[in-house]
Amino acid sequence: MGVVHGEEMVLNIGPQHPSTHGVLRLKVKTDGEIISEITPVIGYLHRCFEKHCENMTYDQVIPFTDRCDYLAAMANNFGYVVAVEELMELKVPEKVEYIRVIMAELQRIASHLLALGVYGLDIGAFTPFLFMLRDRERILDMFEMTCGARLLYNYMWVGGVSHDLPKGFVETAFQFLDYFEPQIEEYNKLLTYNKIFIERTADIGVLPQDVAISYGVSGPNLRASGVKWDLRRNDTYSIYEKFDFDVCIGDGGQGTLGDCWDRYYVRMLEVKESVKILRQALAQMPKDGDVHQALPKKIRPPKGSIYSRTETPRGDLGFYIESDGSPIPTRVKMRSPAFTALSVLGELAGGWMMSDVISILGSLDIVLGEIDR
Amino acid sequence: MSKYFRDIYESLSTMMTGLGITWMHMVRIRKNNVTLQYPEEKWPRPERNIGFDHSNYNVIRTRLHVDIDDCIGCLKCERICPVQCIKIVTEKAPVRGDDIKDIGHVGVTSNGSRKALVVTRFDIDMTECCYCNLCTYPCPEECIYMTGGPNADKHPIDYEFSEFDRSDLIYRFAKPGTKEGMNEVLSKDGAES
Repeated sequence: MGVVHGEEMVLNIGPQHPSTHGVLRLKVKTDGEIISEITPVIGYLHRCFEKHCENMTYDQVIPFTDRCDYLAAMANNFGYVVAVEELMELKVPEKVEYIRVIMAELQRIASHLLALGVYGLDIGAFTPFLFMLRDRERILDMFEMTCGARLLYNYMWVGGVSHDLPKGFVETAFQFLDYFEPQIEEYNKLLTYNKIFIERTADIGVLPQDVAISYGVSGPNLRASGVKWDLRRNDTYSIYEKFDFDVCIGDGGQGTLGDCWDRYYVRMLEVKESVKILRQALAQMPKDGDVHQALPKKIRPPKGSIYSRTETPRGDLGFYIESDGSPIPTRVKMRSPAFTALSVLGELAGGWMMSDVISILGSLDIVLGEIDR
Repeated sequence: MSKYFRDIYESLSTMMTGLGITWMHMVRIRKNNVTLQYPEEKWPRPERNIGFDHSNYNVIRTRLHVDIDDCIGCLKCERICPVQCIKIVTEKAPVRGDDIKDIGHVGVTSNGSRKALVVTRFDIDMTECCYCNLCTYPCPEECIYMTGGPNADKHPIDYEFSEFDRSDLIYRFAKPGTKEGMNEVLSKDGAES
C-alpha cells in the first residue's frame, strides 16, 4: 500500500484566526490532511515603524518601540535605549542598570507565561492558560505600580528610567517570587508532563541545529535546538555579567532534540532562570542613587551608526541606528526575532498534519506586531 | 502492545493529576482567584503617591486633563507628542499678566508666572493619544496631567470615558468663546489706540 496522492488544495488559515496569534495569514497547500507547502503572508499589522522614526526625536521613538513587541514592551524599550546609549557612548548610573534588568526579567516571565499559556490553549488545554494569566496579572500590577501602565510602558528612557521604583516595590517583588516559584511546579504537573500534551508536541516540528542557525533563528527557539547561545551571556550588555544564571538548552526530554515540546520546555526553564536573576538583582540593587543621567533636553548623538542587540523573550532584537548629529535619527532599522522565527515555519511544517501546524506555529511564539513593525 | 497500555495508563494518570490540581483550586478558592463582576466591583488600583519625595511625579496613565487657567501656551506638550494629538492655538494678549474678564482669561498662573498669550484653542484628541505620558513632563506650569493619582485633588481619576461618537472624544479645554471674544478685544484695542 503506497501513499495515494490526491489533488492539492490551497487552504487559508487566518488572518482572523484565534491560533495565528494576531493577524497572520497562512497559505497552506494540503493533500488531504498532509501539508506539502506553507507560506506565511504578513503585513496586516504594518505601521511603518522604521519610517516613523525618521520623523521623530530619539525620545519620541520609545513609545513606538513599545508597540512593536507588545507582549514584551519593556524588553523593546531596553533594546532601543541600549542602542542609543552605545551610540552616544553614555554610561548610566548603576541603579538604573539594576532597575532595567529587574524590569526586563519580570517582562521575560510575563511574556513567557503568556506564550506557554496560549500554547496550551492552542493545543486544547484551557486551565493552564487561566492559571498563567492569573500570575502574569501580578507582574502587570507591579509594572502599573512602577510606571502607571500595564502593557505599553515607555518606562526606560535614554540615560535612565522615567522615574524611580516606588516605595515597597522590592518587598512586593520578593513576595511575588516566593509565591511564583511553587507555581512553576504546578504548571509542570498540569501541562508539561501531561501525556496528551506530550503526544501533541513531542517529535513534532523538529528544528535541526543547522537549519536554525542558517535561518537566523534566535532566543528560546534556537536554544531548544541545543545551541547554547544567549546574548545575556555570549555578548553581554548592561550588567548581566554580574548575575549567576544558566543558559537553558533543550535536551529532547520527551522526543527528538528541537521538537515543539523542547521549545515549550526551554521557556519554562528560562522562567526559572529569570527568577534566579531577579532574586540576585533585587538583593544587590543600591538603595539610593539618581535614576537619570544628566542630558541635554534634545538628545543629539554624534555622527555615526551603531548596531546593537539585546536578548528579548523572543530572541535577538537588533537596532541599527544611523545618526547625522541632529536630534532626529536618519535611519532606524529593527531586526525582529519573531520574523526569523516565522520564516522557518515553511521549513518546519512540510509533511506534517493540519493539526500539527497549530502546535508548530504556537511553539515558535511569534508576535505579529514585531514581525510587521 | 505494552506501550499501548502504558500510554493509556500515563494518559489517565497525568489527566488525574491535572484534574486534582484544578479540583484543589476549586476547593481552596481564594478571594483573589475569582473573576470580579466588573462594573459593580473594580480591581483596586495600586497606591500612587508611594514614596516619591516630590508629589509631582505623575505615575498614572488615564485621560489627559489641562488646567487651562494655568496654561501659558508654550507649546512644549504639542511638540513632544509623538502622535500629534494635541493642537494649540494662541493669541498675543494685549497686556502681559492682565486678566481679560470678557473671555474669562486669567493673567497670572497659580505658580505666579505672568501670561503673555491667550490660549484660544487647546484640543486633545483622546482617540489618538497613545498614553505615553511624554507631554506631562516638560510642562513648566504642570497644568497638563493625567487625571487621578497625585493630581486626584485637582481632578479625580477618569479612565472609563467611552463615548458613542468619536468626535466626543476630542476634548476642548480652551474656554468656549475665547476665540471670538479675543477678536473683539483686539479690535476694541485697535479702535482705541
